[in-house]
Amino acid sequence: MSVLYDLRMLIEKKIERDGLDETQVKGEIGLRTGRLVSLISTRTPDDPVAIAKMSQAAKEILGISL
Amino acid sequence: MKWNSIRTKVLVVLAVCLAVGVGGTLTLLQYSFAKNSQALAVEAVNSAERLFKILEDREISKMDAVSETLLMNPDVRDAFAAKDRALLLELTSPLYSKLKVKGITNWMFHSPEPDMVVFLRLHNPPQFGDRLNRFMDNEVARTHAVVAGNELAKAGFALRIIRPCYDANQKLTGYVEFGEEIGGFIHEMKKQTGDEYGLLLSKKYVNQKFWSDSSAILKRRDNWGDHPGFVVADKTSTNENVIAFQGDLASVAGEGKVLERFNDGKSVFVRGIFPIRDASNHTVGAMFVVRDISSVYVGMRNTQNLLILLSVAGLVIGAVVMLTLLNRLIFRRLEHIIVVATRVVGGDFHTEIKVGSRDEIGRFEQLFEQFRCVFVDLLSNVPEFQEKE
Repeated sequence: MSVLYDLRMLIEKKIERDGLDETQVKGEIGLRTGRLVSLISTRTPDDPVAIAKMSQAAKEILGISL
Repeated sequence: MKWNSIRTKVLVVLAVCLAVGVGGTLTLLQYSFAKNSQALAVEAVNSAERLFKILEDREISKMDAVSETLLMNPDVRDAFAAKDRALLLELTSPLYSKLKVKGITNWMFHSPEPDMVVFLRLHNPPQFGDRLNRFMDNEVARTHAVVAGNELAKAGFALRIIRPCYDANQKLTGYVEFGEEIGGFIHEMKKQTGDEYGLLLSKKYVNQKFWSDSSAILKRRDNWGDHPGFVVADKTSTNENVIAFQGDLASVAGEGKVLERFNDGKSVFVRGIFPIRDASNHTVGAMFVVRDISSVYVGMRNTQNLLILLSVAGLVIGAVVMLTLLNRLIFRRLEHIIVVATRVVGGDFHTEIKVGSRDEIGRFEQLFEQFRCVFVDLLSNVPEFQEKE
């Protein structure tokens, strides 16, 4: 398991729970972090910078602290 | 509001331009209004001065014609040559009654120089034999030609004409003089224009004895003591403000000038002054004029307000049109590109960018659409997305 993938899961749960536009939200987070959220998998290596960016984007866009 | 967005910056610049434009327009209109108001006031004074000169010229022509016609009458000519005062009075008094109705208040016969005394006063027959020694008397004696102008005598400050008289043998027998009180002019001027007038004479040029005598002859109150520097020859209004003036009347410049513009209720008035000169070209007094300029002034004010309204409306409409245009041509299309780019990154590979036109933004849309196609093509080979597709 990777932390980045966990983050992806949390983001997708939040999107599903709140009935948000998935492509729009993932696109915004992707543009902020510089990576495609849908391509993050369990094999994606953890990178502290990427994790920080992802957490920050999720906080700003979805209002969740990861 | 995002302060770093182009839309906000454009909006701020437009607001500043709008404020400067409205401010500039208001200033310009105010300046133009003040200038026009001043021109209107100056014209009011100048037109009153022109009217006064026209009346002067008209009355001089009238008295010139009357005096010339009178001296063509052999009976009058011979009676004056014979110095028969009683006969001359008998012959001329019926005509004087008629001329008086037409405004001629003074009529005198003078004996020739060197004595040059008053031989007969039609307006005051018992008084004769006195010597006036005025500028006009000396001038007509010097030139033996018709002399016309304003001058004070015992019967008031009047516009006068003096003409030499000759007997059947062309020998000088004396002079005949006609005069019209200038005070009467202002009532005629008021009839024609509706303006209020006041005629003031500087005491420097008015003999107090003459003034008192003329007041007695014309049966009016001797107002010599009313004001320290001048006497009021006549005025059309009982309002003393018409003739309010600080300074020396004799120093009033050659041209008329505007003294003030003032409001009385809803009406707007302009008050001005122009000099009155006597026969020797001295400024002996001044004519005050008060004109109601309400109709023109209010018209100008309404036009100004309308122009302000139109200018502001024009500038606001211009700003709105400019913003709408920028929105349609640039901002909305840029936002669409951002939305599509975001959705593509989010995994939506089907939303395309439609190229709206062939302008600069259109070229960018086209380029971005091509880039999107390359990106989508690239991602279509990634297993995670193939699964999703």
